[in-house]
Amino acid sequence: MSEQSTTPGRRVVITGCGVVSSLGTGIEEFTAALRAGRSNVRPISVFDTTGFEHNNGCEVIGFEPERWIHNVEIDSLGRASRFSTAAARLAVADSGIDLDVLRDARCLLSVGTTDGESHELDSMVSLEIAGGPEAMSPRLARRTSAGRLATSIAHELRLSNVEVGSIATACSAGNYAIGHSFDAIRLGEADFALCGGADAVCRKTFTSFYRLRSIAPDFCRPFDKNRMGILTGEGAGILMLESLDSALARGARIYGEVLGYGLSCDAHHPVAPHQGGIARCMELALENAGVKPAEVDLISAHGTGTHANDKTEAAAIRELFGEDTPRVVSMKSMLGHSMGAASALAAIGCSVAITEGFIPPTINHIETDPECAVDCVPNVSIEADLRIVQNNGWAFGGNNSVVLIGRYDGPREAVA
Amino acid sequence: MSTGTLNAPVISAWTAISPFGHDRSSFADGVRTRTSPVSTLDPERWSRGPGETACTVPGFEPRAILGSKGTRAMNRVSGLAVVAAKHLLADIGVEPGDERDDIGFVLGTTTGSVQSMMDLTRASLTGDKPDHVEPAAVPGCVMNCAAGQAAIWHGLKGPNATIAAGRTTGPHAFNYARRLLRTGRATRVLCGAAEEYSPARAWVEHHRRGGPDPVVIGEGCAMFLLEPAELRPPGRRVLGTLEGFESRVCLDGDLAGTVAVAVRALLSAAGVAPEQVWAATGSGFTDSRGEPVETVALRQLFGDAAVDRVPSADLLGDTASASAMFQLAAVLSVAESAGRSGADHTVVTTCDDDGSVACTLLRLGEPVG
Repeated sequence: MSEQSTTPGRRVVITGCGVVSSLGTGIEEFTAALRAGRSNVRPISVFDTTGFEHNNGCEVIGFEPERWIHNVEIDSLGRASRFSTAAARLAVADSGIDLDVLRDARCLLSVGTTDGESHELDSMVSLEIAGGPEAMSPRLARRTSAGRLATSIAHELRLSNVEVGSIATACSAGNYAIGHSFDAIRLGEADFALCGGADAVCRKTFTSFYRLRSIAPDFCRPFDKNRMGILTGEGAGILMLESLDSALARGARIYGEVLGYGLSCDAHHPVAPHQGGIARCMELALENAGVKPAEVDLISAHGTGTHANDKTEAAAIRELFGEDTPRVVSMKSMLGHSMGAASALAAIGCSVAITEGFIPPTINHIETDPECAVDCVPNVSIEADLRIVQNNGWAFGGNNSVVLIGRYDGPREAVA
Repeated sequence: MSTGTLNAPVISAWTAISPFGHDRSSFADGVRTRTSPVSTLDPERWSRGPGETACTVPGFEPRAILGSKGTRAMNRVSGLAVVAAKHLLADIGVEPGDERDDIGFVLGTTTGSVQSMMDLTRASLTGDKPDHVEPAAVPGCVMNCAAGQAAIWHGLKGPNATIAAGRTTGPHAFNYARRLLRTGRATRVLCGAAEEYSPARAWVEHHRRGGPDPVVIGEGCAMFLLEPAELRPPGRRVLGTLEGFESRVCLDGDLAGTVAVAVRALLSAAGVAPEQVWAATGSGFTDSRGEPVETVALRQLFGDAAVDRVPSADLLGDTASASAMFQLAAVLSVAESAGRSGADHTVVTTCDDDGSVACTLLRLGEPVG
């Protein structure tokens, strides 16, 4: 096994959170919804679901891109890029960093995604069916490159001195982006990072999960005996990361410290989760963060609500944490599965859980599956003093990524 | 940003499956002889695209190369990545079946297999029922399909990432791979980029660019082994040392100017003078007026000789996210046997019409003979 060990470097903290989600836009609405255990499940409207027997999803409703996007022509952006760009705006505003400071610094813009702009590709297919391939739209075609989820942020914020790209590792991509940014700042190769994930609901992905019999007919019930699968969701979560010294120097509000992360690949199956692969990823993350399993106060699970995921994930957690297994919650019960945004939104959820002192619940929960023997904090959030939270992300392709986030208690009580 | 020479990883092996052929030597020969691999598309094989020609990998079908097991639903881009990784692993002596959890795998893409994605949507829209799609086709519709397949085929359990940064993917993927090494997350990394020819990709690209004449679409996968210099086993030559990475986003419409800014910063951070650069090469990007903006900037910075030493990878047609990887492979192909009289660096630039600019600086290894 490789040693993803802690190497000396700068400490990295989270100082801004930008959220576009089915639970609301902005960190306040998002936090309030997590605390209240809300969801916003409704029939999907982004594409025509005629012919599907069930069609619930977790869409971003009432999103007004023009409120957040001022420097890029909105019509030039696909749905996912609108989410990522708006969320980046929100993260910058939340961080309190002056844009001129960002423009003079070296920044990393890293956006994880499952589908890129597949919603636009879906629309291209509709045009093709109606009028042949010549009838496809140049306007839509120009939106499709997945890299634009990140470059659009540079254009909107007028940042030129940036390292910029999307990480297309599917449903764990948000954690990948956070981890990559952690390394860049730790090594002193970036001053600030805007990182996270974005995806838009689309026919392609809904149909894919539906065909794999992984879409729940009504609600997403992670760890429940009668769980039936995911609900497809969408949105973007973007975090502002910077070095601890930078945050302290400008008197920033610190949500938490990124303690470390791990990456592993199952090399096992294109879509099925693999207990050994995800257990190894959690081990690597803990080792990288210098954290013992018993020190973890909460696990934010990948927790999709499919039979296979929750059983496999719970078993891997049990295997690694044993008697020390902390509470294990799934924010997907509230957010649906927002794909590449999922682990980024969950990381933001972990951050506010630490700062606000509560554990977001796993909603829609009736009876815990004995095969998922974890305390998933059913239905109602609880007050909690959280010091270290682990955020899990798994993906098609066996791309696993786990991020550890710790409370920052001030210079005297250093966490790491 | 300078990556610094301390901890700078080296490229010590590479391969390419390309329109020139299935291996490194066919690629190197094609580049050195500046052969055009453009061919007429076989209408029996391909549904109608916007153009009649393309640069496809000759005789490449995943099943034909990899056998029938596990390839029934494998799309072309996955096949290209799996085969490139197979060749590279064989070159470096990793036996089939070895499970290696310290080998990272970083693969660039523009947006995965547009064909697979659009086919699935089309099946949903035109079938008897919207969920009557082929379940085996589902994994190929996600952008990390090729990297995930390569991991499964070759037992690569280390960090596995798919990087999408349009045409600038190459330098960004190298930089991602370099960080995996520098942080000890992987001991070695296979880093490449893959694009497939497909009518869907050709149509999307045609509409994206606009204009009456379809661009010639290229495909293939170039892949490099990156490893720390000190871990290189005896007998594996240093082909290049990764000495720098730089990137910008152009905000004022002056892409050539932004390329120049990025390249100057790249050289300055590494302490390399323009005279030390043996080859400075773009990756075949032309802007909407047909202007080769990278070459314009590079000629001003380095003069014609350094720019003209290595043919442009657009010999292979538009290989999108793989273009900078192929360009670097072209540099290594030419550098292998070229006398360089003291100038031992190479700069490979790339830019995208979304304004993104990136470049890589390599110190080349000693030529052979």
